[in-house]
Amino acid sequence: MLMRRQIVLTLALMPITFGLWYAAGSLFAAPAVWLCDVLLSYLYPSLIDTAGLQGADMQLVTQFGESGGQLLTAKEAGNQIALEINTLLVSYSIAFYGALLMAANVQNSLYKFSLGLFWLWLIMAAGLASIAGKELLLLIGGPFLNTSLVPPADVIALTYQFNVLLMPTLAPIFLWCWQLRGSPLWEQIAADINRASSRA
Amino acid sequence: MLRFLILFVGILLGLFSVEMLNPVQDAVIQPFTGLLASISTALIMPFDDSVIAQGRILRDAASGFAVSIESGCNGVEAAIVLVAGVAAFPATLRQKCTAILAGFFFVQALNIVRIISLFYLGQWNYSVFEWFHLYLWPVLIMLDVLVVFAIYLQWLGKSAPPVEAS
Repeated sequence: MLMRRQIVLTLALMPITFGLWYAAGSLFAAPAVWLCDVLLSYLYPSLIDTAGLQGADMQLVTQFGESGGQLLTAKEAGNQIALEINTLLVSYSIAFYGALLMAANVQNSLYKFSLGLFWLWLIMAAGLASIAGKELLLLIGGPFLNTSLVPPADVIALTYQFNVLLMPTLAPIFLWCWQLRGSPLWEQIAADINRASSRA
Repeated sequence: MLRFLILFVGILLGLFSVEMLNPVQDAVIQPFTGLLASISTALIMPFDDSVIAQGRILRDAASGFAVSIESGCNGVEAAIVLVAGVAAFPATLRQKCTAILAGFFFVQALNIVRIISLFYLGQWNYSVFEWFHLYLWPVLIMLDVLVVFAIYLQWLGKSAPPVEAS
C-alpha cells in the first residue's frame, strides 16, 4: 500500500520537479560542470583546456584545432576545437530524485535532499566526463587514445553506458532507498526483505 | 544489504560488459532490437497501415518520419538492472527465473509503449519528442523496474512459510 502511494505520488510530482529543473536551466548542472572541469583539466592537460557552462550546455575547449580539414594541435592550427555537451542529459536525475524524495515524505527532507544533491553532482560530473570521453574518441580518435591515462575505447564505451544511460535513473533510486531508512515505507520494505531472506 | 549491493554492482557491470561484446550484439541485441521494431509495427498496423519496419527502424510511409531503435532505447539496460537486482537477492533458482522472465516481459511491454509513443510524438512535435525520449521515458522505465522489484520482494515474502510461534 505504501509502495503504491510512493509510486503514484512520484508520478504526480514529476511534472512539478521536471518543470522546476527545466526552468532552473544551468543552475543544477553548474557544480557538476565545475567538478568536471577540475577533473578533466587536471587529468588530461594535453587534451582539455577548459570546461564551462554556456546555457544548459557544457562547452569543452580542447587543446586541438583544425586547419584545412586537418586535425592539429591548437598551437599549430591557431584555433581550438570546442565541444558542446548537453548537461540536461545527466542533470534530469535531480528532478527524478526530487520527485522520489518528496513522495516519500521523510523527516529532514531538505537536509536529505541537499546530501543527495551532493552525491548526484559527483555522479553527474562522471557522466559529463564520460560524454566528453566518447565525443573526444569520435572526434580525435588515435591521438586521444594514445594520451597517457586515457582508458581503452571499450572502457570509454562501458563507462558511457554506465554513467550516462544508467546512472541518471539508477542513482536517484539508490539515494532514495538509502534515505528512506526509518520511514514507514522502509519498515515495510525491510519486513518484505526479512521474510524473503528467511526463506532462502 | 552490503552483500546485495556488492553482488548487484558486480552482476550489473558483468552483464553490461557482456552486452557490449560484438558477438553478443550481432547474435542477440541487434536481432532483439529488430524484433521490438516488428512487434511495435504489428501493434500499430491495425490502426495505422502507413507504418513499416525496416530492421531497427520504424517508418511512416506517408510522412517519411522514422525512428531508429538504438542502444539505450531497447530496454535491455533496464532489463539488466532488473536481472542484477533479482540475481543478487537471496531466493531459490526457480523464483529468480520466474521473476526475471516476468520482469523482462513487463519492462519490454512498457518499452514497446515507449517506442510507439515516441514514434507519434516525433511526428507531432520534435521538442516534445526529445523531452520524452531523453528525460521522461528513461525515468518511467526505471520506475517500472522498481515496481517489478518491489512486487518480487512482496511475492517472495508471501511465499515464505509462516514462522512458528515458540
